[in-house]
Amino acid sequence: MSAAVNDVVARGRAGSVLRLRSARIALAVLAAIAVLAAFGPTLAPQGPLTLNTSSLFQGPSWHHLLGTDYLGRDVLSRLMAGTPLSVLTALEAVGIGMVLGIAPGIASTFLGRGFDFVANRVADALMTLPSIFFAVAVTAALGNGLVQAMVPIGVLLAPAYFRITRAATLEYSRAQYVEAAELMGASKFHLVTTHVVRKVFPNIVVTTASLTAGALLAVSFLTFLGIGVQPPEPTWGGVLSSDLDYLSQAPWAPFIPGALIAASVGALNALADAFRDRGGRGALALPQLAQITVRTGPTLEDANGSQRSVA
Amino acid sequence: MSVADLVLVASPATTAAAGDVPPRRRGRQIVARIGSGLAVLVPIVFISSFITYSLGALSNSDPAATILGQDGATPQAVARMNRALGLNHPLVVQYWNWLVKAVHGNLGASYFTQVPVSTSISQRLPVDLSIAGLAVVLAILIGGSAGILAAVRRGGWFDRGVTLVCSAVSTLPAFVVGIILVVLFATTIKIFPANGYVGPTTSVPQWLEHIVLPGLALSLQVSADIARQLRTSLVGVLEQNYVVGATVRGLPRRRVLFRHALRNAAGPAITVLGYDFPLMLAGSVAAEAVFSLPGLGQLLLESAQTRDIPVVQGLLLVISSFVIVVNLVVNTTLNVLYRTNDGTSA
Repeated sequence: MSAAVNDVVARGRAGSVLRLRSARIALAVLAAIAVLAAFGPTLAPQGPLTLNTSSLFQGPSWHHLLGTDYLGRDVLSRLMAGTPLSVLTALEAVGIGMVLGIAPGIASTFLGRGFDFVANRVADALMTLPSIFFAVAVTAALGNGLVQAMVPIGVLLAPAYFRITRAATLEYSRAQYVEAAELMGASKFHLVTTHVVRKVFPNIVVTTASLTAGALLAVSFLTFLGIGVQPPEPTWGGVLSSDLDYLSQAPWAPFIPGALIAASVGALNALADAFRDRGGRGALALPQLAQITVRTGPTLEDANGSQRSVA
Repeated sequence: MSVADLVLVASPATTAAAGDVPPRRRGRQIVARIGSGLAVLVPIVFISSFITYSLGALSNSDPAATILGQDGATPQAVARMNRALGLNHPLVVQYWNWLVKAVHGNLGASYFTQVPVSTSISQRLPVDLSIAGLAVVLAILIGGSAGILAAVRRGGWFDRGVTLVCSAVSTLPAFVVGIILVVLFATTIKIFPANGYVGPTTSVPQWLEHIVLPGLALSLQVSADIARQLRTSLVGVLEQNYVVGATVRGLPRRRVLFRHALRNAAGPAITVLGYDFPLMLAGSVAAEAVFSLPGLGQLLLESAQTRDIPVVQGLLLVISSFVIVVNLVVNTTLNVLYRTNDGTSA
């Protein structure tokens, strides 16, 4: 299918993403998390830091819907109060990745082979750095904070944006209508802004959904490791980590923050799949490392639904 | 020729005809491909190691003052120490000196303990190699057999079960899986230890006992990926004419599956194994944290907290080199498996 036809199909189906049940469920979950991120700390039924030594390790009850932790703090309140930090830092990383990845991705197809080669090698090099290792290493240099730790995560997300925009731009810039516009005397700038960027957009949406899932996972994992947060401050990963220390008293406790993390990550991945099924295309679920191993060939993409080869 | 050109996509049509190339020429082709692969890897190695080294310059820390302590840090002593550490040179010169030493196995010494970085890394490395090695073996066994069975019984209850379990597993991060395994097999049913590590030189059974749960936690995600890729490609290959032909000629089903179909279907699964390798490294940090294993991840966390820059740089260099080597191995394997007649990639 030619790029142009593919695009028409993609646009026609963009609205129909909502017809998929999985997409509706995913959006509902994400909407709930967005509400928590905006109002979590104010909605929390009890103080996330309020100690209550007379009710340690309690199971779910009316008073404590998700039970209490090793200091008698209300787990539901702690998770609600911890949501903004997790969500905002995940979005911070994705934002950094977008800024650093998309512009060179589009530019590399127009600025000539030299720029393209250098940009590709930098992307390759970044992909050899495992994200968590790199993030922890950067906190050694920049200081122990979650905001600092998510900067390297964002930098490592950039190659994914770079690849996907570069591949899509390459494909669309070869489309006949772009050629026609060029023959009619349109400037390169006009070609990029009017004809190409808009077409690349669906790919960026899919990529963003799956990379946000990856970033959220990274935040939870970093806070689980105790990077960037001071102990009383509630975070998703932090709740999980303290639950792990008291498994013998409350073996069910880790399932609550675990389920919250899994639900948000799963919802974002399901949304990415839904967009992909409906004609958009994008990166794999977690494009940690890519092109130095593999060009994302059709075989890899088959497993991700109807994603078509962008290479 | 870029790396991308080197990489192939499993394609039965081209691989089926691969047997006619004379052995010597075929050997030369493989060497040539590895050579051009290396040529692309060289800039990658330089860029990623430069990023790693620059962390020290970013850190704004004053290593000389740290080493000398509060009392000894007179301006003269700091200047002398900076010269001794080579920190008076420009960043690029410092980087080059560091890289040359690193190639010779000298990664510098910890600012605080003066223990050589290579020593602490080689002490910790066996832990991660054990769990990552076990995870790879488990992933191939679990993912491979699940994928093959699902493809052979396509549409059956086993196939649907595999698909369901795979999508469930892929939403669960390794550290959550690890905790679930601890809850199930260490605190509820006490058959494995919940934490700690015993080296294989001390006691092999105990070593295995301690690495089973971390290895399993690390392998599940990769198993799911392998199963999915293998199922998809095997289903496609099993419909190819040459497989049908082999069956019609009366070859045993097992032989058709393993000798003919699997060889051509394995490419994406091998690719995904290489693809997932950095994920497994991140997972091993998780497994170390959950099971309190004294591995590289713990070393990284400790040295990041104390801002022990040489250790952090050394660790990052070792880890990224691992990733690069694994990529090269995966690429080469794919190239050897799917070489084509004219010496170019499919």
